[in-house]
Amino acid sequence: MKKLSAVTVALFLVIISCFSGYAAGINAAEQSVLSNMRTPANMNGHKVYVPAAYINQAEAHFNTIDMTQQQADTINGIISQGRAFLEGTGKSNIKDLTSSQKQTLLSYASKAANVLKLTAVAGSDENRIKIITKDGTVIVDESNNIIKTTGYSSLLTPVLAGSALFIALVCASAGLIILKKRELVYEKN
Amino acid sequence: MKKTKTKNSRALKRRKKFFKGLRHFLLIPVLVCVLLYGFIFTATMPFMSDIFSIGSMFLQNEDANYSRSYENIFTPSDNTGDTVNADDVDYPSIDKQFGTLKIENRGVDAKLFFGDGSVALRNGVGVYAGSFIPGYGKTILISGHNNTYFNGLKNVKKGDIVKIRTSYGNYEYRINNTRIAKADDKSTYDLNAEEENLIMYTCYPFDELGLTEQRFFVYGEKISGPAIVGIYE
Repeated sequence: MKKLSAVTVALFLVIISCFSGYAAGINAAEQSVLSNMRTPANMNGHKVYVPAAYINQAEAHFNTIDMTQQQADTINGIISQGRAFLEGTGKSNIKDLTSSQKQTLLSYASKAANVLKLTAVAGSDENRIKIITKDGTVIVDESNNIIKTTGYSSLLTPVLAGSALFIALVCASAGLIILKKRELVYEKN
Repeated sequence: MKKTKTKNSRALKRRKKFFKGLRHFLLIPVLVCVLLYGFIFTATMPFMSDIFSIGSMFLQNEDANYSRSYENIFTPSDNTGDTVNADDVDYPSIDKQFGTLKIENRGVDAKLFFGDGSVALRNGVGVYAGSFIPGYGKTILISGHNNTYFNGLKNVKKGDIVKIRTSYGNYEYRINNTRIAKADDKSTYDLNAEEENLIMYTCYPFDELGLTEQRFFVYGEKISGPAIVGIYE
């Protein structure tokens, strides 16, 4: 019986993994969400747009799912609420929002993500947003840095540690020499 | 006079004792500690990243992915035609290898990932998830480390051909420009572009360890490869 269960589970996993890839394509529902995301918010006379990087990442994700019209309608409603909230803050851009206003904005993103069974969380700093799937797969990890740090390598850690070690050794040795000399001076006296 | 001499001698003894104590209880332990640390560090250097990874799991608030493993959905294709249907494209998700990138005779030959996080850059080069995959008809922004997979970018010249192979088609881009710019210079890319353009970048100067402010950008135009059609239903 145990063997049969194991084989069944294994077969199930194989079938799941076979269907883990999705064909690219943006259906009408997904297009309506992307179009809504591209609509700017009018903040105190300034047009504020969702950054292209976010919209493109949404498009990339939509290429891996099939959103229903009902889901799209719910998400579009939340996006419109979020836009109305932004316009009602009286501020001219996102940077001017208070922390609690940013949290409210994040809650709209979170609600929209929940419709697709995704979770939106703020990262280690306020400007970072992560969207993760139920199983923990990160589908969006967005910070203000589109251009990444590509010079930091694993070699840097030993280099830094080595330098710190060298400095500490020099300081400790210098301290020892000074103390020894002073002791000698006192001994002479 | 004798009293003063005795006093001085006692003060001298106290100072000597103090310095001896300082040497025995502070400097020597620090020195031994540093030397021991250095020894252990050198001995464990090959496993250091794993040790840091495990340590970080307990120290960080958010989940971090230090995995060296990744999923590979790349299977070589011989499609060099003009189009490929969107239904035939297995759109990659983050940290999946979906192709390879090569610039012949320039020392660039790497696995191509979707996403430019640590998993991608440890194992190859990565397409920024806020840009697009080859064939999509938009911007493809690819990064790689300057001391590993994109070190060869220092050798590229205008006219060189970048070959990208994916499971749904093979692409060629001709390098038409290079540029050194600050990392926060937003004029180096256009994520709203409506024509296919390839941007590869790495930290500059090359061979410099550590964090650098500048990036070396390489720009390319598409010269062949199937355009993905039927994306918008």
